Amino acid sequence: MASETKLSHTAAIILQALDAGFVYGFSIMEMTGLPSGTVYPAMRRLERDALIRSQWERQSIADAEQRPARKYYKLTAAGKTTLLASRKRYPLLERLVPSEEAKSV
Amino acid sequence: MMPAFQLAFRLFHLALLRCASLLAPAKQRAEWLREWDAELWHVQRVCAPADSLSWTAEREVTAFCLGAFQDAYCLARQTRPKNMAHASLRGSAAQCILLLAALLAASAVMAHLLPGVRAERSLSSRHVSPGLVQIQYEDKDDGSPSTISPRQYRAWRGRTQQYFEGFAFYRVTEESAGQKSASIGGHEKAGLRVARASSNLFALLGLPVQFAVPDRRGDGNLLGVILSKDAWKRGFGANPHVVGSTIRVGSQDARIVGVAPEDSWGLPGNVGAWLLQPDSEIAAGGEGYVIGRLTSEGKAAMWTQCVRITAYGPGDSEDDLMGFSIETWRPGSWGVYLFGLLLALLSLPAITSVSLGDYSVCSHKHSWSQRLCRWSFLSAKIALLLPIVYFASLDLAYGYLSFGPAGAMYIQLTSSFSLCLFGFRWVLQDQRQRCPVCLRTVTNPAEVGLASRTFLAWNGTELMCSGGHTLLHVPALPTSWFSTQRWLYLDPSWEFLFAGSGTGMESEAISGFSSP
Repeated sequence: MASETKLSHTAAIILQALDAGFVYGFSIMEMTGLPSGTVYPAMRRLERDALIRSQWERQSIADAEQRPARKYYKLTAAGKTTLLASRKRYPLLERLVPSEEAKSV
Repeated sequence: MMPAFQLAFRLFHLALLRCASLLAPAKQRAEWLREWDAELWHVQRVCAPADSLSWTAEREVTAFCLGAFQDAYCLARQTRPKNMAHASLRGSAAQCILLLAALLAASAVMAHLLPGVRAERSLSSRHVSPGLVQIQYEDKDDGSPSTISPRQYRAWRGRTQQYFEGFAFYRVTEESAGQKSASIGGHEKAGLRVARASSNLFALLGLPVQFAVPDRRGDGNLLGVILSKDAWKRGFGANPHVVGSTIRVGSQDARIVGVAPEDSWGLPGNVGAWLLQPDSEIAAGGEGYVIGRLTSEGKAAMWTQCVRITAYGPGDSEDDLMGFSIETWRPGSWGVYLFGLLLALLSLPAITSVSLGDYSVCSHKHSWSQRLCRWSFLSAKIALLLPIVYFASLDLAYGYLSFGPAGAMYIQLTSSFSLCLFGFRWVLQDQRQRCPVCLRTVTNPAEVGLASRTFLAWNGTELMCSGGHTLLHVPALPTSWFSTQRWLYLDPSWEFLFAGSGTGMESEAISGFSSP
């Protein structure tokens, strides 16, 4: 069951960052300070375990802003449940990636 | 307009991502690359300023791109079923070659490390000039090498000889030896077994000298001294610059003129250095050993390994002497190995069929590349097997226990023969059980038919290529119409059972094939 999934601290930080609104790989890197070689593979595994899901940005939005379209990630219901369990396991998780900071970005 | 350096970095980073994408699975590569391209655009925008060069920024972008390799590798591993890698390697030609290469490396490393094997190989490579004999008295019967006085040696040298064209003399004494020149470093004097030898000893024996410098007797009449490799290492720290310096040997100063290679000395006396003296300076005191080089007439007079000599000593006294050949014949390890190999090749047809099975019974045509692969694989196995057997036989014969030269030779011969024989048998049997298309070992044997119906239908064993290319039929009882194994080539419609399914589908395939 997803609620029983025990995540590593790195995976839990990434889930927390996604929940806080950092929905792109690079923004998670910036927020957590983790290197690209850790963040992207971790997100692949989380997506494989159906804890997050990815979606391509609409091309029209990217074209309007004259940049390439990005793939963004979102927590699934199972991901949210796992994150809640991880917060109990890692009590300082919320302080590491506060939601307020995300809102200000 | 983008500056040139920035353009170069952009291209470099894009190239890194393209390289990393090669690790990603082909089906997901385009999407994976699109995501990384998009992320790179944002990273460059945030990290690298548009119009100035910042090494720190470019380094950060490069570090970001290098992470793509880990991501692509992770994706590839995630996509590939766990048992797929094992299934593709299991029984493959690559696995077989790797295994043989590992065996070869292990046996070669052992042969290099074991002191007994090293000593044997250096002994085999030792070459002494032909026609050399050590001269000793005929009536000497205590088994020890005879010694001859310097006076007698000088008398022989002074006469015209019928059997000999050259003599050399040496006498082994225990002397103290040590560094004299302060510039080389302070070595204390140590006891050393020194051979006081005539100056032509090394030339007569044909022994090589390393780091040789000319023996200049004009340098204050200094004698030349050649160090043994062991003494050079222990006493002088294997310093090549010590050659040419002056040392004190006993009560005399001598100049080091070279170093004798390891294990090159095969004559009586364990010697640490050779002090080369002119004949006139060889003291008349102790006796020593005389080496003579035979003329062609002397060689003709030799029977087996020795020659009988009548010599006239000082005062025209007649002495009966024997000359024993230094070059004692013994088969080298290489010769023993080749003999074992030859015996194994002659015996091979007695223990297994040398046929590789029937490839041409059906209408299936093999491409030239398939045939080339098959023969190359067989050749590679044999090419790896031969050095494995050589090194393994050396390890067994000379590795751990001292059996004596004769015992070690028999052990090497026996092991070379056995390993070659069973090695070739394995090579042929393995080749017969490899799919001609993919060279994998056929698996999952299934009994087909009934032995009681041999004359009505065939019975035997059916094996299957795990790649789904072939079935191998091996008759239980060879008959005139089914004497050797046969390959049955499956058409491509079977491939769906095997392609990308790993081991799981194999069992499904077995159930379909194995029922008669």
